[in-house]
Amino acid sequence: MRCRLAVALALIAAPLSAQNGAARLPGRVPAAALPAIDSIIATAVAESLPTEPLVQKALEGSAKNIPAGRLVSAVRRSLLQLRQARVIVTHAVPGQPVPEGHVASVAAALARGLTGPIVERLLAMAPNEPPGPALHAAADLVAHHFNPDSATNLLVEAHSKGLRGVRLLDVAVAADHELQRGGGRTPAEALAHVRAMLPNVPAPEAAVTRHGTQGS
Amino acid sequence: MVNDDADVVARVLAGDGEAFGILIRRYEPGLLRFATRMLGNPDAAADAVAESLVRAYRHLAQCRDPSRLRSWLYRITGNRCRSHLARRHTTDIPLSEAPAPALAEASDTWEVLERSEQVALVERALAALPAEKREAFVLKHMEGMSYEEMAAVTGARIPTLKMRVHRAREALLEALEEVVR
Amino acid sequence: MNPIDPRLQAALDGERDPAELPADLREAYALLISAAELLEATPPPRVSVANRVMAEIRQIPVHVPPHGSVRRVIRWFGRPRAVTLRLRPVWTLALAASLAAMLLLPWQQGSVRNPGETEGIANFVGHFPGARSVEVVGSFNNWSRGLLHLSDDDHDGIWHGAAVLPAGAHEYMFVVDSERWVPDPLAGRYVDDGFGAGQENSLLFVRPSAAQP
Repeated sequence: MRCRLAVALALIAAPLSAQNGAARLPGRVPAAALPAIDSIIATAVAESLPTEPLVQKALEGSAKNIPAGRLVSAVRRSLLQLRQARVIVTHAVPGQPVPEGHVASVAAALARGLTGPIVERLLAMAPNEPPGPALHAAADLVAHHFNPDSATNLLVEAHSKGLRGVRLLDVAVAADHELQRGGGRTPAEALAHVRAMLPNVPAPEAAVTRHGTQGS
Repeated sequence: MVNDDADVVARVLAGDGEAFGILIRRYEPGLLRFATRMLGNPDAAADAVAESLVRAYRHLAQCRDPSRLRSWLYRITGNRCRSHLARRHTTDIPLSEAPAPALAEASDTWEVLERSEQVALVERALAALPAEKREAFVLKHMEGMSYEEMAAVTGARIPTLKMRVHRAREALLEALEEVVR
Repeated sequence: MNPIDPRLQAALDGERDPAELPADLREAYALLISAAELLEATPPPRVSVANRVMAEIRQIPVHVPPHGSVRRVIRWFGRPRAVTLRLRPVWTLALAASLAAMLLLPWQQGSVRNPGETEGIANFVGHFPGARSVEVVGSFNNWSRGLLHLSDDDHDGIWHGAAVLPAGAHEYMFVVDSERWVPDPLAGRYVDDGFGAGQENSLLFVRPSAAQP
């Protein structure tokens, strides 16, 4: 019962947590780190960068009892990553307003190890779609040691054949399954196999998201 | 000043959203002047200032030092302008090629005509500068900021800002002397 | 472009009295100052944006930061703490019946509400034999402790729980026995947490229910 009540409380708490970012920090973040973090967030506001990733990093570090100095450094690094992300978005999709969601997604993709050119290709592939799924699909493939350019080619082709949003994650899952299938299949062969089945990559079996095992 | 910035900010943060109008009236003329000189287009400038003011309102709690509210507002607006310039469509008319403001009508006196020509000349010379130098000149000579405040607005170091202002002056002086002498 | 005499720059920067400049520099000084004044006196703003801005901010819900007692109450609710209820038996019958009904209902999907179109259900499973408690802490609950506990009702060491989360990517970790932070070994996606100790968060991508097959 305890967990059921906890889930209920979590769901009630969610709208509260959606309030103004920095208002969530006092009382959670160590007093020694708060002025510096406030200043970093104020900089992000002034630069029209999203602030939620910075607030989350501060809350995360505080929950993990990270010392104030390292906490501030991590939040500052997140700001630098957001700046880098905006440059990439501006370059990839010139002539369009830069949505904050795009910047945050790109910063997350950079944190996962995707390079600027790969991110730019995926943004240019679908400039008006939320880039999160495509970027995570690419990061999944790269994390599983697929060649970054070949993996991106596969995702661009999947997109051109009509796969959108979370269906791009299925492409990454399918490639990984092909690689795991054994028989000495190389990553390049696994990608070629998935390319041949496009756009009919398997969808997740259950209606419940389970990280890593079911669906995405 | 009856209501200094800190008082007004406190009122807004306490829930009196209408008090934000005081800040708009206080800073709008300067922000619009700044944005117009940066973008070379009054409509784009109005958009940039409006977006910046709404963003400032949304994040007013982040301005922990309301005595520096002016710098903060200029910084937000300056960044909006830079974003606008960065994504400016290639079909847009570059600032340096923007048409000069219309000259005064024939019925105006010679003096007025000469003045409007001077304005057009200075505007064109300013528009031909790179954005960073233009920004530095406008903040220094039109908004009357100290180099310290300019550093707070732009994030650049003071020696860098001095260099930008100096280069901007040189370019403007050269353009002006062509006509005056 | 000809460099300007440093004395002129100093005067324009307010660091030198312009009256002390040689005549030619004084002329250049006057020219530049008048150019700036020309621009300053030429009002570019044609239309005020005040009405437009005020109309827009009136649409923004007023968020008044809680003060004093209100803030303390909110903090009290936001923090995990033990709660002891002392109730008269006669008043607890209805409550007991309600709680029994909750306990008898199966856990898993039936126990969380149906997700909206932009939400999905996330299942969390971890193998932690001998653990006294396991909870999930992540970006979806502001990294707050005590909000999402997993359960191991049959004491086989497999802890599980579910939650409705917004669609998209979420970082999280398991906290075992209230002190040990461990990544989800089944997550399949990880990202360095950025705090310099080489620790990684698990990464979960929640699919929107509208996208489920």
